[in-house]
Amino acid sequence: MEANHTAAVPKRAPGSLRRRRRMLAWVFMLPLLVVNVLVILGPSVATIYYSFTDWSGLGPAEFVGLENYREILSDGDFYLAMWHNILWTLIFLTVPISMGLLGAFLLSQINRFQIFFRIVYFIPYVVASVVNAALWQNILDPDRGIGSTLASIGIPFLDGVSFFGSERLALPAVAFVNNWAWWGFVVLLFLTALQSVDAQLYDAAKVDGAGRWQQFINVTIPGIRPTLVFVVLLTIINSLLVFDYVYIITRGGPAGASEVVGTLMYKEAFERFEAGYAAAMGLGLSFVSGLIVLVFIFLRRRGWEI
Amino acid sequence: MGNRRITRRQFIQRSGAAALGASFAGTLLAGCGGGSEGGSGQVAYWSNLEGSGPQDYFGKNIETPFEKSNKGTQLKVTFQPPDEMDRLLRTALQGGEGPDIVMTPGPAYAQEYIDANLFAELDDYAGQYGWDDKLLGWALDLGRVGGSLSAIPYQLQTMLLYYNKSLFGEMGMKPPKNRDELEAMAEELSGQGITPFAAGIGDDPASIEWYPTVFWNHYSGPDALYQALTGETKFADPIFVEAIELFKTYVDNGWFGGSQERFFSNGFDTLHADFGEGKAAMNVEGSWFMASAVDFFGQAAGNENDWDWTPLPPLREGVPPELYELGIGSTLSVNQSAQNPEGAAAFVDYLVADKARVTEWMAAVPSAFNAPLPFQEGDFPSSMDPRVERQLVSLSQATSEGNFGYTNWSFFPAKSTVYIQEEMQKVLTSDITAAEYCSGLDEVFKEDRKEGLVPKIIKPGSA
Repeated sequence: MEANHTAAVPKRAPGSLRRRRRMLAWVFMLPLLVVNVLVILGPSVATIYYSFTDWSGLGPAEFVGLENYREILSDGDFYLAMWHNILWTLIFLTVPISMGLLGAFLLSQINRFQIFFRIVYFIPYVVASVVNAALWQNILDPDRGIGSTLASIGIPFLDGVSFFGSERLALPAVAFVNNWAWWGFVVLLFLTALQSVDAQLYDAAKVDGAGRWQQFINVTIPGIRPTLVFVVLLTIINSLLVFDYVYIITRGGPAGASEVVGTLMYKEAFERFEAGYAAAMGLGLSFVSGLIVLVFIFLRRRGWEI
Repeated sequence: MGNRRITRRQFIQRSGAAALGASFAGTLLAGCGGGSEGGSGQVAYWSNLEGSGPQDYFGKNIETPFEKSNKGTQLKVTFQPPDEMDRLLRTALQGGEGPDIVMTPGPAYAQEYIDANLFAELDDYAGQYGWDDKLLGWALDLGRVGGSLSAIPYQLQTMLLYYNKSLFGEMGMKPPKNRDELEAMAEELSGQGITPFAAGIGDDPASIEWYPTVFWNHYSGPDALYQALTGETKFADPIFVEAIELFKTYVDNGWFGGSQERFFSNGFDTLHADFGEGKAAMNVEGSWFMASAVDFFGQAAGNENDWDWTPLPPLREGVPPELYELGIGSTLSVNQSAQNPEGAAAFVDYLVADKARVTEWMAAVPSAFNAPLPFQEGDFPSSMDPRVERQLVSLSQATSEGNFGYTNWSFFPAKSTVYIQEEMQKVLTSDITAAEYCSGLDEVFKEDRKEGLVPKIIKPGSA
């Protein structure tokens, strides 16, 4: 039966099947492709065009060539905002990643209540940023927040501190709030990666006399390197595009002390009605993000294990 | 610099209004929804009313009666967040959508839409409904561009000095009538651990513009502002610089909000609660505060305090003693591409021109329906809070006599307004001086003037 059946199928059948399967795959992908073209490619092309125009967001746009880009290069507010993005990136490359590694490592050591802690750590990540922000605005309120509560029990060092009203503290305070929502997600990513590291490697390291720290450096880190690189890349791109927490909590203030390119771009587009200039700014930011991704791809092709 | 122009069809319709980048795409596309669906008889209206109470009131007392008295016209109301309204409108109108009745945040914003030919002319409707006889003359003048009426100022407001009446009574204080009295009171209150002025921009940093408004009007004076707004003098002149320096001095003294840092971080709930509880004695805020004062004073707020208001005192010799900055919370226009422009104009008339109806609404929802009508004592129902009535009558009479000043958000173009908001913070943090701030404003304002973005500036009676 089987032989007869095989004989009955034309020789070209496997190739045809493959083609049909490929076609089917494209058919399934087509809706997504169409959506992407509509909501990403279309606006992206329009953004590129508008970045060369003086457009208020209303009426016709006047072509101004590279004027917007020239203006960006001499815009002190843009440099300050970009500097804040860099500081933000440095904060997020260190604090949540360190906390995430530590949290994941500690969680990997326990079996009981691990799920409970995973959920607890993850909850802030799924809570809307506006809710998280409101929560911390209340907690850090100089008169009604944690500072005055601590002061009432004899610990006055935070009493009256206006975290979001101080030029010095505003940016780190907003980063702290965002980190609170973000780090639990990093823990879960690292925990999943840790669980895929071969336990025998730890045993071998122990036999070789490696301590906890040496195991972490020589077994854990290499074992989770792809996840670590992914988190680093995600962190850099997210930090360049940061907008929501800054906009909700300080709107870039006081006096630009927490301004990032995302909030500056928003203000240019929707408050100053310099939509063309904002488009150029957005494109500049996308260019930097793209450059970072390209560096990663380049290094990977050069044989770096990232 | 080239002058190649693109059309809406070429770029905007196809790619949606998400032209500023993929990062804004979702938000912008959201703005395209809710536009006019056309169809005979339907009139789409986007309202900036907030809260279920006022929105329900609108449905029952305005929308339904209007539809009953205008058979065949269906009103389709969408409530938009006030802060987002202009962004959503801008996106929708640019895409050929948007409501039939367009509410902008003020004359400077309306001007841009008029320049872009997005608003219908209302002159015929003004004649049909007799608006020249009903509405305040300056209001119609303000909505006329190039001789044609295109926008009706709405939701009139002004800046006031509120005070905690109970606290004043306990301390034997009376509302200040001039700068000396105001400063003496502030010194005394500070000395007793009471913040002279509840203040903070934590919830809305743009609200810092209230203070340049107040200090320029009550220190520099309306005549100086008129001259600068019409290009006769400069904002860099000492009279404007001194006003900003005075404000900074008050903030540095801790008179506004308690300290500079608290001024930056205090939210409205905090500052209003401080005011209601008597931790702060006064509050410089717009007439809109009257709508929410009940939440912070009296039994509902858990205290037995009461409030009242007084005109902001002159801060320099020669400034009128009873001066009201004219604020226009919004303007109403008819979309050039409205499917039912007659129905839209009928609703504008319904909303602004009938004094008996309007006063009922104003009594029920304070500050939401303040129409540009000539109000007098006795015009309002007995249910209206007498403090609110006094304010409305005072503003109406003062403006009809030409005794008014200018709010930034109503008479400065958008870029100048944003400059005033953003850079003011830098003056307070001493990153720039008051003189640099005013010179910078002068430059931005000149650019705005050159581009024809300054709205019509109505002349005060004293000028």
